[in-house]
Amino acid sequence: LLLFQELAKYEDMEDQVVLTEKELLEDGFGEHPFYHCLVAEVPKAQWSNSGQHCIVGFAMYYFTYDPWIGKLLYLEDFYVMAEYRGLGIGSEILKNLSQVAVKCRCSSMHFLVAEWNEPSIRFYKRRGASDLSTEEGWRLFKIDKEYLLKMATEE
Amino acid sequence: KMASFSIRAARPEDCPDLLRLIKELAKYEDMEDQVVLTEKGIREASGRRVGSLVAESVAQVPICSAFLELLEDGFGEHPFYHCLVAEVPKEQWSSEEHCIVGFAMYYFTYDPWIGKLLYLEDFYVMAEYRGLGIGSEILKNLSQVAVKCRCSSMHFLVAEWNEPSIRFYKRRGASDLSTEEGWRLFKIDKEYLLKMATEE
Repeated sequence: LLLFQELAKYEDMEDQVVLTEKELLEDGFGEHPFYHCLVAEVPKAQWSNSGQHCIVGFAMYYFTYDPWIGKLLYLEDFYVMAEYRGLGIGSEILKNLSQVAVKCRCSSMHFLVAEWNEPSIRFYKRRGASDLSTEEGWRLFKIDKEYLLKMATEE
Repeated sequence: KMASFSIRAARPEDCPDLLRLIKELAKYEDMEDQVVLTEKGIREASGRRVGSLVAESVAQVPICSAFLELLEDGFGEHPFYHCLVAEVPKEQWSSEEHCIVGFAMYYFTYDPWIGKLLYLEDFYVMAEYRGLGIGSEILKNLSQVAVKCRCSSMHFLVAEWNEPSIRFYKRRGASDLSTEEGWRLFKIDKEYLLKMATEE
């Protein structure tokens, strides 16, 4: 949750993190997980062998479905703390994600990137990513709960 | 034109109709050649692990791997998608048989800031059956599913050129997150995933 808030801060939307720890626990580790996470950790202290680690990065993903090609891996969130960037952690997380995708027989990995986020766009394009919004004209829409309730209860 | 129709959850035996409508939607989106779930013979299909559910349907419908994948992915042990179908009575004077004339494919996604979301993957009503309120009724059903499953929002993609659909959704309260917040959809295809997965 701490890292979600950091990522939200990076994306300038801090006050929109309304999810609680309890919900996060239930939704990811309950009977039916709605998401999966990979975490990157570093040893707490170089001189300590106590085995303690700090989590410095994470990736949240789940499986989606494209009726034309089948299962996809959807990368929802991906973040490495600023102090730990440039060490290959991001690449290693992406490598792990790729292995999950291949193992689970996914045809592709999809994810959103903000158009202003040039470092991330370059990071992904270097690894073979294509921008489907630009190439195929896809736009993401949302219908929020208030409107869903309105439609759900309409006569 | 039939004015009466009904919406219900899809069943395994609906897969042939689902596949038909998926292809019709692909045609509408002018990308029919990209439907890579191709039709192959039963000999290839028999090499796959199939449950008793598949064996039952196999006898009744033409076999193709697209159908089998759709069947297993949606109605197997772990469904990767859910569908609602809209059906109309085949004949006005017969109450028995129905035709599936529309569908919606959805699944649940997750937003780490707000929790569960309902993701609308595909939504299509056959041309001859539009303007009868079928689309609105499907959307109403989807809204009920979202509320029941405690989803904070429903997300979906719309092609920028698809003005009728954009209007349809905006009338119901939809916002364009790509335009408002600058989100772009990216993909990394399997060949690049394999490359990264096996890199030293």
